[in-house]
Amino acid sequence: MVPILGRILILLALLAASAGALVGFATGMRPNAAGWKWARRLAYAFAAFMVLANLTMEYALLTHDFSVSYVAHVGSRRVPTWVSIVSLWSSLEGSILFWGLVMGVYIAVATSRNANRHPEYMPYAVGVWLACGAFFSFLLAGPAQPFATVPNPALDGPGPNPLLQNHYLMVIHPPFLYSGYVGMTIPFGLACAALLVGRLGNDFIRPLRNFLLLSWIFLTCAIVLGGWWAYEVLGWGGYWAWDPVENASFLPWLTATAALHSALLVERKGVLKGWTVVLVLATYLLTILGTFMTRSGVFNSVHSFTQSAIGPTILVFLAAALVFSLVLLALRVDTLGAEGRLETGPSRDVIFLVQNLLFVLFTFTVLLGTVFPLVVEAVRGVQMSVGRPYFDRMSVPVGVALLFVMGVGPALPWGRATAQQMRSALLPPLLSALLLAIAGLVLGVRNPWTLLALFFGGFTAQVTLSEMFLPVRQRMRSHGERFAEAFRQAQVRGRRRFGAYVVHAGAILAIVSIAVSSTMGSSKEVQLNKGESSTLGPYTLTFVQAEQVTDPHRESVQARVDISKNGRSLGALYPRMSQYENQREQIGSPAVRSSLTEDLYVSIHNIDSASVGLLVLINPMVSWIWIATAIMALGGLVALVPSLRGAAATAPGPVPATPIAIEGSP
Amino acid sequence: MRPAAFALAGILAIASGAPAASPPAVGTGIEAPRGAQLSGPELDKRTEDIGALLRCPVCQGLSVADSPATMARNMKAEVREKLAKGYDQEQILAYFERSYGEFVRLDPPMRGVNWLVWFGPLAVLLAGGAVIAWVMRRSRRQAGATEPREVAIAAPADSDPPSRDTVPADPRLAAAVRRVRMLAYGWPQGVPPKAAS
Amino acid sequence: MATARPSRINGKVVIAGLAITLPLLGVLVANLGRDPHSVRSPLIGRPAPAFSLVPVGGGAPLSLENLRGKPVVINFWATWCVPCFEEHAALTAAARGLPDVQFLGIVYEDEEARTQDFLQQRPSPYPSLIDSEGKAAIAYGVFGVPETFFIDGNGRIVDKHVGPMTRSTIAALATKAKEGAR
Repeated sequence: MVPILGRILILLALLAASAGALVGFATGMRPNAAGWKWARRLAYAFAAFMVLANLTMEYALLTHDFSVSYVAHVGSRRVPTWVSIVSLWSSLEGSILFWGLVMGVYIAVATSRNANRHPEYMPYAVGVWLACGAFFSFLLAGPAQPFATVPNPALDGPGPNPLLQNHYLMVIHPPFLYSGYVGMTIPFGLACAALLVGRLGNDFIRPLRNFLLLSWIFLTCAIVLGGWWAYEVLGWGGYWAWDPVENASFLPWLTATAALHSALLVERKGVLKGWTVVLVLATYLLTILGTFMTRSGVFNSVHSFTQSAIGPTILVFLAAALVFSLVLLALRVDTLGAEGRLETGPSRDVIFLVQNLLFVLFTFTVLLGTVFPLVVEAVRGVQMSVGRPYFDRMSVPVGVALLFVMGVGPALPWGRATAQQMRSALLPPLLSALLLAIAGLVLGVRNPWTLLALFFGGFTAQVTLSEMFLPVRQRMRSHGERFAEAFRQAQVRGRRRFGAYVVHAGAILAIVSIAVSSTMGSSKEVQLNKGESSTLGPYTLTFVQAEQVTDPHRESVQARVDISKNGRSLGALYPRMSQYENQREQIGSPAVRSSLTEDLYVSIHNIDSASVGLLVLINPMVSWIWIATAIMALGGLVALVPSLRGAAATAPGPVPATPIAIEGSP
Repeated sequence: MRPAAFALAGILAIASGAPAASPPAVGTGIEAPRGAQLSGPELDKRTEDIGALLRCPVCQGLSVADSPATMARNMKAEVREKLAKGYDQEQILAYFERSYGEFVRLDPPMRGVNWLVWFGPLAVLLAGGAVIAWVMRRSRRQAGATEPREVAIAAPADSDPPSRDTVPADPRLAAAVRRVRMLAYGWPQGVPPKAAS
Repeated sequence: MATARPSRINGKVVIAGLAITLPLLGVLVANLGRDPHSVRSPLIGRPAPAFSLVPVGGGAPLSLENLRGKPVVINFWATWCVPCFEEHAALTAAARGLPDVQFLGIVYEDEEARTQDFLQQRPSPYPSLIDSEGKAAIAYGVFGVPETFFIDGNGRIVDKHVGPMTRSTIAALATKAKEGAR
């Protein structure tokens, strides 16, 4: 009963999406109110069917209905309820179903927000969105069917991958990731609509930029949550290994960030329209490439879902999307027409271009490194690896360069800067730069790249703080307002700018924290007998005893390790080695004691009742990375919220003399 | 990231280029040790450094330095032993490459088509710089042809009433309006803040 | 609205787009179906690495050089490895049926006591050696068990088999090892 219901819902979603795509494109070519009405209805229908299909699957998971193939694959009666809920996105077919859910919700929201706006563009946009929706529905209806009927359902199932049951982060990382990843479909549709219509005005760049920013916020959080999860769960002590699937999530983030900045130039000066559209298209295509990398089994990765048949199908969709985008660009990018002119001398404009170049370079490098083993296999027939040493070496200079331009750009004015302006803009922040670098030297930093990161970090921090409060200072000067009032007024008028600088502040903190945590840590591997101690830095660790812990789905051996710092006791840490049912290998869980200055990280290599082999790490400033990400997300929200509210409050400008605006009715 | 690995990355900045190329050692064993025998903290550090360059064959992408797997720990012990005997980095990497193939090196050596992964990014950087220079030159040429406008928000049709986003077509008037806005509202250079919807 | 605009094709976009997308798609298509986790051994055709290991249960160390002149089959195995258990019978029978081939077992990442128990319950006509520090496994580029190496009389590896073997596979590869010496 349930499998059939699920299959029907997916087929209905496929029908709604296919029909809606056709109606959308037809309405775009020949605008009319009825067409737009039906396109909207089909979009909402697609969303509704996807939501219902997901609810059906959750119901099956929670009731342990093993006649549903996906539940037979990942369900289990012996796991906690939250694990059952989370199993929806834990494995291949379920995660595509979840993809469909997020896509449905996004399409519904984007359609309803723009139901009465941008009439020439929206039908095309809905057409593109529903075409993508149709593909994913097709995947679910065919190669990745989660609702197949199992003829003789078992009484119980294996449960999801134990690594995914290890930590609560599994609950939020995938939803954030999909909200970011799938959300990039919306700007993609809007950009395609702009190309199809042949125009990209300031009015339309706004929803494009807003949805790009919304997805960007989710994706930023998701990437760092993934890193945090790797740090807390995998036990090797780091948070980023340049694994192909990690790179898959990072690549669209890079182009999306570049697109957000380039969209700013479109709005201010009416230039770089074609380039912004290229970046937005590339972002979406990279998400499809990313999903191929994760699911095709072609890449050697920690995350790899098992090899599946849907790899070639996704590759076909990727090829089709690439061809579509290329043809559209080749035919229409010239019609987007610049309205203004880029400043050629030293100015913020030039820095924007340099920044975009750096992001593109970063994207290219990470993509090249990830795909390169496949290239070599095809050309030389040799299997080789491109691992962390390569990526670290390449990304450090680019990251530091980005930190630098993040400081120089906002310091320079928009127009051509005179020598005098440049001096007064660029010299004062050198003070903070020197202070931070010297502080680093005093605290023992010797790595040249880290020192450079500190230097530029100080420079950029001063510029960012100064620019953040510039409108406030100007109001205080010209209106005589006190700080609080000036701040409030500046917020009302310039919240987007303020939010952007908050994001920059978070980015500076993140880059500096990453630099410090990568180079200033220390580590030790030690074998301790019961009662024995060892020291690392100011910490003393004592292995007290090994304890057995039994959970319904796993057996663990836990080591109690007492910690003291400079003589003062800090309690105990409990790293664990767990044996899950149905898994041969044991899985270790590290124990981390975080503070603002540093993390003490302990993980088990081997354990028995008499002794334990420990890996002990001191990782400085890691907590600041998580805090910095929260700041970036907050800044993004601050920048996003007034635009959403403002767009709803202000009526559209003078009514354009086109028939659609008059005919169109909700 | 491990500090040793990052330090190695820092030292091996792009300027210094890729690791030296050498084909895997042939014969029944590697040659005599070429380097100095190590011990103590120096030995620990170099073990971590070289461990970070070797891929754990039974793990998913982890380096020998990071992986807790038995195979990885055995390999690390082997690295340590060879360092203590005085073998240098290239010899040790070649030893493991002999058994496991090029797959076991996490840092691609300069061999065959591998140069592409090193010089590709450099080529993109140079090409991008050239594109920016070309865009700037084209912009300058356009500036010579038309009157430069500092703020690119186009003036609307004359019949529309002026609004906060627009300036009059007349440049002198536009400059005056911008100055008034800068003084009155505190907008930098009279340009409305980006929150303008 | 459909604007009647002459559609000229932007050549730069086409060239740049094709230059990026064609190689990318080509590489991805070329690698479909390939299993990234199976790595080919570089040792085939090369001299087998030397070792000197103690047999299970004690005794004088056995080294590879002493077996020069005879083809050798080295099987890496462990008691915790289910496929190894399955191929144990095939190996035992093959060893008995091919007296001119020397069979050897090397125990991988296991405990001596457990291997002794195992061999007591399932006797083997050829010795198994303990690779205590994993050096032999590293030297032979072992990724997991079971892996079996076929070496000719001159000490050169003629082939490597990953995974459990049947009697016929063993016989075929052992013949290859015998011929390799000539």
